[in-house]
Amino acid sequence: MRKFMTLLWLEYRRSWVWGAALIGSLAFWAWGLNQVSASDIGEQLGIRAGLLFFAAGLGALVLCFMIGRIRSETRQGQYQILLLTPPTGYVHVAARYLFAFAVAAVYFMGIGGLAWWIVGSTGLVLNAGTVAQLVLVCPFYLLGLVLIPLLSWTLLLMIFVSAYRISGSGWIPGTVMVLGSPFVLNWYGDWLFHISYTLPGWRLFETVRALVESTPWAAEIDTSGVTALVLPQEPLWGMLLLAVVMLVIAGRIWQEVEG
Amino acid sequence: MLAKLDDVTKLYGKNDGLRDCTLAFPKGEVVGVLGLNGSGKSTMLKLLAGLLFPTAGRVTVFGGAPRANRARIGYLGENDALYTWMKPADAERFMSGLYDDFDAVRYRELLDVLAVPRRKTKAMSKGERGRMRLAMALARDVKLYLLDEPLAGIDLLSREKILTSLVREWHTDEAILLSTHEVAEAESLFDRVLLLREGRVALDASAEALRSEGKSVVAAFREVLS
Repeated sequence: MRKFMTLLWLEYRRSWVWGAALIGSLAFWAWGLNQVSASDIGEQLGIRAGLLFFAAGLGALVLCFMIGRIRSETRQGQYQILLLTPPTGYVHVAARYLFAFAVAAVYFMGIGGLAWWIVGSTGLVLNAGTVAQLVLVCPFYLLGLVLIPLLSWTLLLMIFVSAYRISGSGWIPGTVMVLGSPFVLNWYGDWLFHISYTLPGWRLFETVRALVESTPWAAEIDTSGVTALVLPQEPLWGMLLLAVVMLVIAGRIWQEVEG
Repeated sequence: MLAKLDDVTKLYGKNDGLRDCTLAFPKGEVVGVLGLNGSGKSTMLKLLAGLLFPTAGRVTVFGGAPRANRARIGYLGENDALYTWMKPADAERFMSGLYDDFDAVRYRELLDVLAVPRRKTKAMSKGERGRMRLAMALARDVKLYLLDEPLAGIDLLSREKILTSLVREWHTDEAILLSTHEVAEAESLFDRVLLLREGRVALDASAEALRSEGKSVVAAFREVLS
């Protein structure tokens, strides 16, 4: 455990600027969202939601860059120091991943909080259960579906590429993986789509329609299409499983890699 | 026997890193691994450290594979690979967190002896960083030290401090394999000399035997490799 905590500390020291900048950027996005002014509530909500999606995408990109900086380490030789340390490759990979995941969790919970604030600014008062779904369930569902596997993939890609650094042919596994991954993901995604809703779905935002109808501007909004969101479990578990498999492979490559 | 190379060959593509090398390293020796650039010194030390795998032959350290025993090997690589944000105190946390055999008191003593400033490595000179890396390596209580060019690019006074520390810290139940181009300065340290040429062992002799023949290590180096 001491070794894992030391590697986690090392990861924090390596990457805290990235993490702090990302989490600090939430203040910028809050300011940006506050600047949006449109007379129509629907239009205002749309622009703000768009901004929020952009912030989420940009955050995901920054997190991928943060976790994927192994190549610079191989060039500077720090990878060599780490390879010789007693902890196994799996422990190194786990520490790297956990730090990035922690930053991602805070950032996307912040995004969820901003979504809550946007909704609140329209005058809609959400109950505690709906707030929890907006701030916790939705961000973690999206994290599990997209970002957790994406971070695993990035880490695996960079370790895979770095493993071939000594022969100068890292571009070959890199190209193979970048070109091959969409096909694998397409096949896997089709399968997950096929098995979706085999298990009971998660019902979210069931009370939103009633809440909207209780607001003064309910007459302006057509709520006939507002129904509960039913999220399938299978894609989440499937993508989490994929993320774990990629991390195990990354750890195994780390074990095998030559300096 | 602490470490052995049995008929080891390491190829980089078609180029020889090391060729048909059979050597044994018992405890109680300071071995000078010497040779011109590209002669295979770093390759040999990396093979023993487990950073490289042999193309053919077998490398054994403490009776097993080097990677399996990596926690028992003190390796100082040729690359100055410290994180730029690291201060000596950070390095202490790093080493003591990962290595059970790291002696923090000894490390701080070594920092003092080697006059390492307590600032970030990016604000240190190459010599200061080299001394700090050596302190990190020597503060571990291991039986096999693999020191790859610890004197490279370091000023004369720092080199003297490093060599003095090596003498001071060495124990008879340990083995040190030291690769260096500073043959003249380090030769008094060596019990045994390995001269490598184009990946092959050109000379494996005890320093004492060389001296009894009236040869210095430098003279043997010139004779064998020129």
